[in-house]
Amino acid sequence: MPTDNPFQDPLRFERHVPECVVVIFGANGDLTRRKLLPALYRLAYDRRLSAGFAVVGISRTPLSDTQFRERMLEAVKQFSEDTTFDADVWNSFAEGLFYIPGDIGDAGLYTRLAARLAEIESARQTGGSVMFYLSTQPSQYASAAQGLGAAGLGKGKGWRRLVVEKPFGHDLASARELSGRLHEVFDESDVYRIDHYLGKETVQNILAFRFGNGIFEPLWNRRYVAHVQITAAESIGVEGRGAYYQEAGALADMIQNHLLQVMATIAMEPSASFRSTSVRDERSKLLRSIRPMTPDEIRRNSVPGQYGPARIGGQDVLGFLQEPGVRPDSQTDTYAAATFFVENWRWAGVPFYVRTGKRLPKRVTEIAIQFNPAPLAIFGEGDGDRSPNLLIVRIQPEEGISLKFLSKRPGSGMDLRPVSMDFNYGSSFGERSPSAYETLLVDAMIGDATLYTRQDMVEASWSVVEPIQNVWRETRFDFPNYDAGSWGPAAAGDMLARRGHVWRRP
Amino acid sequence: MTSTVNPERVLRELAGLWASAGQPGGAEDGAEAGVLRACTMTLVVAAEDGHDWQGLGETIAALMPEHPARAILIRLTGAGDRALSGLVSAQCWLPSGQRRHICCEQVEIAASDAALADLPSVVRPLAVPDLPVVLWCRSARLAGMPEFDALAARAGKVIVDSQELPLGAVARLAARGTLVGDLAWTRITRWRETLSLVFENRHNLARLGSLTNLSVAHSAPMANTAAYMAAWISNALPNLEISIAPDPQCDSLRVTLAGGGFRVELERHQDRLAVTVDGLSRCANLPLLNDYSLMREELGIVRRDPVFDAALARALQLAYPSG
Repeated sequence: MPTDNPFQDPLRFERHVPECVVVIFGANGDLTRRKLLPALYRLAYDRRLSAGFAVVGISRTPLSDTQFRERMLEAVKQFSEDTTFDADVWNSFAEGLFYIPGDIGDAGLYTRLAARLAEIESARQTGGSVMFYLSTQPSQYASAAQGLGAAGLGKGKGWRRLVVEKPFGHDLASARELSGRLHEVFDESDVYRIDHYLGKETVQNILAFRFGNGIFEPLWNRRYVAHVQITAAESIGVEGRGAYYQEAGALADMIQNHLLQVMATIAMEPSASFRSTSVRDERSKLLRSIRPMTPDEIRRNSVPGQYGPARIGGQDVLGFLQEPGVRPDSQTDTYAAATFFVENWRWAGVPFYVRTGKRLPKRVTEIAIQFNPAPLAIFGEGDGDRSPNLLIVRIQPEEGISLKFLSKRPGSGMDLRPVSMDFNYGSSFGERSPSAYETLLVDAMIGDATLYTRQDMVEASWSVVEPIQNVWRETRFDFPNYDAGSWGPAAAGDMLARRGHVWRRP
Repeated sequence: MTSTVNPERVLRELAGLWASAGQPGGAEDGAEAGVLRACTMTLVVAAEDGHDWQGLGETIAALMPEHPARAILIRLTGAGDRALSGLVSAQCWLPSGQRRHICCEQVEIAASDAALADLPSVVRPLAVPDLPVVLWCRSARLAGMPEFDALAARAGKVIVDSQELPLGAVARLAARGTLVGDLAWTRITRWRETLSLVFENRHNLARLGSLTNLSVAHSAPMANTAAYMAAWISNALPNLEISIAPDPQCDSLRVTLAGGGFRVELERHQDRLAVTVDGLSRCANLPLLNDYSLMREELGIVRRDPVFDAALARALQLAYPSG
């Protein structure tokens, strides 16, 4: 009996999803409708799913398989941004969609799920492999895992994996407790903590840029880099999610996970190979090298912010405190900026400035690496611009990489002007980039955890962020401290000015 | 009368093109002044004068965003005086949501048969340094001419279409060590991928050994494509009884693998590829492939393709069983 498919052609074929069932807890929720089902449908459209691939949706709403399929059809039509809807592909895909109504805390749900999975395995030859996707309230993660374990679903004939969405705990202790509860049923190697930022093509391209080229890595250290700025700005406010958001805040919602992962990717050491364990070991090592700050350092090196009302583009915009569901005295940070230092030989003394916020002037995520000036200034003050070299990695929108350097302006004098050399991801490779969820779902089903967050990484991030949270909780801030549509509180600018630096205006 | 093309003058014209495109006003309304120049290869395309040049131009334009290239289009004008003439232009586009035009260069050279021998000396200096040169030959007549070899020798990859050429001509190119792409092979990538996916299922994989018969029915123009399909499958399953036959009912291919009570069928209906495994049918999107989609795939592979090499060798055995 052959053990390997003799028809494989990795040079020309896309990576394929092996036969399996995806069980989605929270199947009636926003994430399922907006991201998960459109991503799975796109994979079907691209012929990347196996013939027997199936999805079992679970939520409390009583629905039949047919009603669930109808709802998912609407979702796919509404939220598939760059995919043509094809009725035949959908019909074929929809035959593999099933639904079980039930409460995550009810043991009977898991018995019914086990029976349904056995039926599907027999009818669609899915080989017994199941990926459980927890798209529920974080408070239900442990219950769902425990329910699966009690019904014997944590192990089976094929592989069993568990995908969880952030937040992974709300502090270090709760993150550890959650991991402990999940590990009672699933091994750490079968737990996939999803961070959709790591699924973005340009974040993955950081690895290609750094470790596929020989010319940048020699400059990638304290000798040549003056500082690094990581910005994730959103122009929108909390968009009706004020009640949820005020429990999280920008620091926990963005910096603890997405931005520290991006920082780890930009600053990690080269891994010995591109295997999942090697890459994640290096990311983890970098996160553990970030120096946790003392309360005094936190006051100097971190800035919370909250937007107030403003008029933007002729329209009045609510402040955070005026948003529905938000307590009028809320101290939630809608903006967070911090200066981190990495304690290793490569980065010692180089500040990593990280900021994120809502209601900033534009939606942009980028990493700016500012290099030291030329060691000897042979050109005088009157010879034009003396601005330093900058390498910008743009994550969204207009994904790409730009290098800013000085050039002589044509003419008789020595007039220096900055010019930008651009690599535009979309124009150099015009093909459609898969969405982050397509990439990450395929990776999890294939068993490639490279772009997923490991327990030690989560704990290392919380070790950095939790002391900041604690100081901020103990402090009463005079919020709001920035106008909607501005680049954040003035104190964030002061934080850089103390080291002679300024925030970039992306 | 003799006319010729001076490569240095063409290069100067190209430089001038970039200078004018970079001037304020060189870009259209709404775009930033200046353009972004993109290039990943030199793409040389040779086609007969009577070819659909408008369609070819549209194909090249569609390829540029994904494979930015200096395109050198050779228009084969046939009999006549020894004449070469050149024309320089740029292909620019404004990517959706972006502020700056992306531009690629295009040089068109008209060459009579008598001037074909002069072509390599013109194309060589026009190729972008340090980047691959890919030759796409759209002319079966040129592929059979001795001058073609000199042109192909400069290319890192030569792309032909054995729907218009005998398989033997493709094999001869490959035998000279040239990296070859054959669009007749590219046409079945999605078919092959779909068949491969069937055997990603362990249950189906376990039954692979029971298959004894392979039948590939094909429309008249798809004979070599059918030979490739049969060759690829028989390379994976060497003991199959193989039948390749034209079928007027077939709009492209119909592939059937059967044996031991196990049956796998692939057939294209309109824009869908239906795969049926033991009666359980599933369909996927498979629009008719045009030159753009075929070239898009081939330009993405500028290295040796061992699966294609093995399929070509086996397809020759199937097409010419007497050797």
